[in-house]
Amino acid sequence: MIEATGLTKVYGAYRALDRVSFEVRKGEVVGFLGPNGAGKSTTMRILTCYNSASGGSAKVHGYDVFDEPLAVREKIGYLPQRAQMYGEMSVKEYLRFVADVRGIDDASFNKRMRNIVEVCGLGTVLGKDIRQLSHGYRQRVGLGQALIHNPPILILDEPTSDLDPNEKAEVLEYIKEIGKDRTVILSTHNLGEVEESCARAIIISKGRVVADGAIDEVRARGGRVRYQLLVDEKAALRGTAPSNEEVSAALGAIAGVLSVKELPTDDRAHGFTLLGNKSTDLRGEIFKLCVEKGWLLLEMRRDIQKLEDVFKSLTKGDEAADRLRTAAPADEDDEPADEDEDDDVEDEAGEDASDDDDASDDKADSKDED
Amino acid sequence: MSTTLNIAKREFRSYFDSPVAYVVICLSLFGLGGVFFNYNGGFWQANRASLEQLFVQIPRALSWIVIPVVTMRLIAEEKRSGTLEMLITLPVKDSEVILGKFLGAWGLVLVLLGATIVYPALMFGAPWNLGALDSGPVAAGYLGLALYSAAAVAIGLFISALTESQIIAFFVTFVVLFFLHVLGAGAVLSMLPQRAEYVLTFISFDSRLASFMRGLVNTRDVVYFLSITFGSLIGAFWALERRKWN
Ligand SMILES: Nc1ncnc2c1ncn2[C@@H]1O[C@H](COP(=O)(O)OP(=O)(O)OP(=O)(O)O)[C@@H](O)[C@H]1O
Ligand SMILES: [Mg+2]
Repeated sequence: MIEATGLTKVYGAYRALDRVSFEVRKGEVVGFLGPNGAGKSTTMRILTCYNSASGGSAKVHGYDVFDEPLAVREKIGYLPQRAQMYGEMSVKEYLRFVADVRGIDDASFNKRMRNIVEVCGLGTVLGKDIRQLSHGYRQRVGLGQALIHNPPILILDEPTSDLDPNEKAEVLEYIKEIGKDRTVILSTHNLGEVEESCARAIIISKGRVVADGAIDEVRARGGRVRYQLLVDEKAALRGTAPSNEEVSAALGAIAGVLSVKELPTDDRAHGFTLLGNKSTDLRGEIFKLCVEKGWLLLEMRRDIQKLEDVFKSLTKGDEAADRLRTAAPADEDDEPADEDEDDDVEDEAGEDASDDDDASDDKADSKDED
Repeated sequence: MSTTLNIAKREFRSYFDSPVAYVVICLSLFGLGGVFFNYNGGFWQANRASLEQLFVQIPRALSWIVIPVVTMRLIAEEKRSGTLEMLITLPVKDSEVILGKFLGAWGLVLVLLGATIVYPALMFGAPWNLGALDSGPVAAGYLGLALYSAAAVAIGLFISALTESQIIAFFVTFVVLFFLHVLGAGAVLSMLPQRAEYVLTFISFDSRLASFMRGLVNTRDVVYFLSITFGSLIGAFWALERRKWN
């Protein structure tokens, strides 16, 4: 249904997309994820034939986006990011305009309208000028506009970003519903939403696809599991109730725990998130620890890692690198130095194994240099 | 075709959703009336019942106010506000967008031109009954005005497609149209060598319009205005396509 092959987009000297390839099959609802500036909107604009790729090709519903833009656009409903519509038109007029351009006759327009008004919750604003609407309502109109011709493919750029929670849930529910016999690709920063409504996720970062697969697969990529627990802060089986630091330290000391993070809780319990490897189950160890210390374990849960964690681990490095680069734009002098340091670290690591003395010399040397 | 008309219709209507259209139409009609009847002694001083003054003043009023105002937002504002993305990702060709916008804006100018017929109607019919009107020059004059305004609107559209700022589009259009008028003025021409004079007369709006006012419809003048119109539309189309590659 959607097939992107080696899409590349270059803005001046900047590579916004770098050989992005993916495929979305009929009936799939795919979440398109990535940090700000990753290239999500750029990809969608290429798929909707608004922009042209600098390299690579894409097919939508069997039509090439470059050769047959009109055929492609007829098959898709597109909601651009922060969709802007003619403010001086009323909602009804605008939808009518879109329907006219799409060549929809009155009878089917009226039928579709009923459906759209219900799904997008537009009943109360049909007669209002678009410029008078709140952002959320504009977003709803944008969504309605994308659905008006009952398209087999939907391309939605952050469709829920300005919606209130009720409407968000409703729209996601609807997307899931229509996604059964349609193809949907939606971008969002809200990973919870993706887990809820998409069967598959594509994560891109800095213009490259870094993960692509069923949500569970992507989630499993991290190879980690998380444990969430609550320990009573006011009472204990024996002795006094433990302090936060005490619990945290003891949990961190369990073999196999990779990290301990405190959770925000009320003042009755200490909450923690632990990260462990998927291959080992730490629940027994944690329980034993609590029994030994006499702490009251109120709650313990073992989850497969959240999509959010995978997202972070896949994209965070890039982002940090980006930040450094923009924070000090004129650091051409520094960069070679940075690279040297990196080399040193690698050298040390290599030499550590073979010869300890040399390695410490190296360390001293590099400190002197600094 | 129907796509083009839909876009044109929306564009045309949108002028009436804001005060712009009304203000521009009223101001220019009153202004034109004032100039026509009073400027340089005006109509009443001319010895014959002629619309020549009217035909000299209308294109200036159009070029120096109406057309820059009407065309400045056509593409520039859509680009700035982001509505362009919604429009273009509908199943429309870029050429249909350009043509639709052109027709919408030109339509408004034609309505305004149509409204100026009030003046000859008042003079030669009720209430002043100045006598029989030589209808040939009037018809030719209006044909010339229609062709000229197509060219001027297309130029404005092209300029609007080059920028994201309505204000810039307004001023650049104003300047370009201003020069296209004054280039042919006698004062300018007398300062220049023969060959330059010939070139300037060739591209000047005013000298092209002059023969229409005398009731002459020259193929060369018609072709001149049509070529400017098509050339500018193609320019605007190219400017719109440019977004894909930048
Ligand atoms: N017209 C343009 N000219 C130059 N650079 C651009 C242009 N459009 C986008 N970019 C750059 O391309 C990169 C990708 O942008 P894009 O809008 O696709 O990101 P995104 O993934 O949609 O981000 P967000 O989550 O913030 O919406 C960004 O670094 C952006 O600065
Ligand atoms: Mg985006």
